[in-house]
Amino acid sequence: MILPMQRLRSATLLLVSVACLLLSGRLGAADVSVSAELTRNRINEGEMAELQVKVTGTQQADLPREIGVDGLQIRLTGQSTQVQMVNFKVSSSVIYSYIVMPLRTGSFTIPSVTVAADGKSYRTPPLPFTVESGRAAPVAPQASAQQAGMPGMMPRRARQTPPVPEGRLAFGEITCPKKTLYAGEVVPVEIRYYFDGRYPVQVTGRVDFGAEGVLVERFPDPKESREERDGIAYNVLTFRSLLSAVKPGPVNIPPAKLPSQIQLPGALPPGFDDPVFQQLMGGQAGFSQPRELTVATAPLHLEILPLPKEGRPASFTGAVGQFDVDAIVSNPRPSPGDPLNLIVKIGGKGNFKGMGPPVLTETNGWRSYPPGDKFDGTDDLSYAGVKSFDYTLIAQEPKSASPGCEFSYFDPVTARYLTLATKPLPVNASPGSVAPAPPSTVSSPSEPPAGPATPSGATASGKQPLSGLSLRSWTTPALRSDFLIASLALCVASLALAALLAIRDLQLRGGTAASRRKRESASLLARVADPDADALAAHEAAVALARVAQDSPERSELLGRLEERLDALKFGARSPGVLSEEERAALLASLRSLPVKSRIS
Amino acid sequence: MILRPFLLLLVLCAFPGSRLAAALTDQVARANSHLATGHASEALSSYRALLTSPEFRAGGSPEVWYNRGLAEEGVGDAVAASLSFRRALLLDPTLAPARRALSATMAGLGIPESQGWMPRVSSWIAPEILVIGGAVVGWSGVILFLLLVFLSRRRRGLILLSLAMIVTGHGASIFGTLADPRRTANSQGVITAKVAPVLRATPSDNGDARGTIPPGSPVSILSRNGPWWYVVSGPSLSGWIPSSALTPLLDSKGSL
Repeated sequence: MILPMQRLRSATLLLVSVACLLLSGRLGAADVSVSAELTRNRINEGEMAELQVKVTGTQQADLPREIGVDGLQIRLTGQSTQVQMVNFKVSSSVIYSYIVMPLRTGSFTIPSVTVAADGKSYRTPPLPFTVESGRAAPVAPQASAQQAGMPGMMPRRARQTPPVPEGRLAFGEITCPKKTLYAGEVVPVEIRYYFDGRYPVQVTGRVDFGAEGVLVERFPDPKESREERDGIAYNVLTFRSLLSAVKPGPVNIPPAKLPSQIQLPGALPPGFDDPVFQQLMGGQAGFSQPRELTVATAPLHLEILPLPKEGRPASFTGAVGQFDVDAIVSNPRPSPGDPLNLIVKIGGKGNFKGMGPPVLTETNGWRSYPPGDKFDGTDDLSYAGVKSFDYTLIAQEPKSASPGCEFSYFDPVTARYLTLATKPLPVNASPGSVAPAPPSTVSSPSEPPAGPATPSGATASGKQPLSGLSLRSWTTPALRSDFLIASLALCVASLALAALLAIRDLQLRGGTAASRRKRESASLLARVADPDADALAAHEAAVALARVAQDSPERSELLGRLEERLDALKFGARSPGVLSEEERAALLASLRSLPVKSRIS
Repeated sequence: MILRPFLLLLVLCAFPGSRLAAALTDQVARANSHLATGHASEALSSYRALLTSPEFRAGGSPEVWYNRGLAEEGVGDAVAASLSFRRALLLDPTLAPARRALSATMAGLGIPESQGWMPRVSSWIAPEILVIGGAVVGWSGVILFLLLVFLSRRRRGLILLSLAMIVTGHGASIFGTLADPRRTANSQGVITAKVAPVLRATPSDNGDARGTIPPGSPVSILSRNGPWWYVVSGPSLSGWIPSSALTPLLDSKGSL
């Protein structure tokens, strides 16, 4: 077992060595290139930025520990290595990180950084850098001087994280595609909240948006995304909903507000304020303090126009938008008297919740009921989709065509009412057959009372009562006692029948095999014991009996002797003669000593 | 010995609905006469009195329940009419007039009527016939099989036929039991409140509202907690409503 293990280890080591050689060869063969990048090229006074110098194609490079710029302090804080393999091509790069700390406001140019690698010198391009004076407290010159001389020992005042302006931390925007709406019109509205991507944010409430004169549907869960504005990466929460104009007139909707909490960097305890420590913490200070914040958008002003009264069709039921209409009959050939279902589908975009059902036309000979409706949205907001109105119609006379339908809506784009219609569809419907009237042979029906009667002379729906009278159980048969008893009785009867038939079959076969063998053995023994039987007959019976006996050494030995004796009696020169009493008794004793066979062979 | 239970099953199969006593037929004829002449309220009173008689304690008459539904429709109580039509269909799922009347009533109430596989099957063939007829065929197959196996084993075709009878007959009996609407009727109900009851998330008046169920809607009763019952209406609407807002098709003992 040891030898194969050693071989396996040797093979693994060989493979790893070859891979390392190949990798080093590949890495060594790569060209060296350098680049520089600022994480933020515009910061506020009191903030810091990071300069990353990326050296690709070598593992070893010499870079300056500090870069001198008047008004900035730029110090090397560490390095990291990246190895990438794309299409089996391995590339390696080393990233050198510098912390850029502003000492004053103004525009700067970070000069080229000289990188010495593989005996050659490479230079990064110069980078522009701006430090703006925000509302943050300026860093004291004395503190800066101390920082320059004694890193990690900043005075307490300099360790305080400067307050960040709220406008840059978070802000909101609202988008409404139209500022002038018609009453009843529905438009999608989008509210976007931007949060500075450097700080964790927790939304602590719901969006507060709305005003008298408009209806805003409940906002579903927002979508999250990331966006950069003015060099700052923001986490964006996008809320979308539908806004319905209700009342004509101007509407001023206050800013949409969203309560939230932002974790801002807090004061650093002594010993934790070194930039190297911050670099180790992934650029975060590591200590934070929450700040409650209500992010608000700009207010929204809308002008709601009334729907024009001129040209309003009679079939207009409040639909505003752009729609089309289609109709189908789900069961064009119902049984006589059965209802027929006419489904009118209205598709498009608009106020599906506010629209009423289309108006049926050519309804003579039909009885109709208020339709049920169902909406299938094709977008998240249910602004676009298909609304189906299901009309139940019952033919009062033989009909070959369904009713048509008419649907009117107001198009806010063209500011006109439009009417769509569907044609009657071919159907084959007829009224139900009238049930026979109660029989006149009723024994003693009393006269009907003299109260008010329905005009039809029967029931309100024109149906006649059924005259039959039967009694049925409220319980399913499988749970009723009569059924269960009958089933149990049949089960018992079937078992009894099976038993009877089995016994009869047994009788026809002459009993069981054991009893048949027992009878045969007794018969053979009687033939051996018969004093009138000659020696040949007695031995034939004895051989037959020994053959049916249970197999054993004694039986084999006896059977051999008996067969030998039988052959002698059969084919011997002497006549068999009569068996002597002693010989018969000995034969019977040896046969009786044989074990009885228990099963049929 | 074998013939007796067979005869009992055959009687059950041939006469699924036994005839009521002659004394009741007069009352029924009188109520029908009121209804036929347009006096729905008098007819309704007669049907109500009739259905409280001891003869209708363990069983019911689909015709009387249908006629009562017509009378309720006549007095303008569509919700009660829908309940009566449902009870008539419970007793005789093949009663086409009751099915048509229920469909029209539900359409009048504006409630879409969804039909599952059970009502479709039971409207085509009565579950009672399937259960009892299937049992007769199945047990006949058992007897035939035993006789053939013991007396005439060479008739393999007949033995196979008897096996097919066993499987088909008892299978139909089980299927009929599953399709019988009476099997689950004590957990079915109809909203009979005049105002649509509010479905609540918890069994209390202060529970969060989940929606309302219009009167006449069929519901499934999943749980009973005193005066609050947990019901399901349609594929997604469920919650607690006061038990007084609905009427079960059958009581918890499976009768009325």
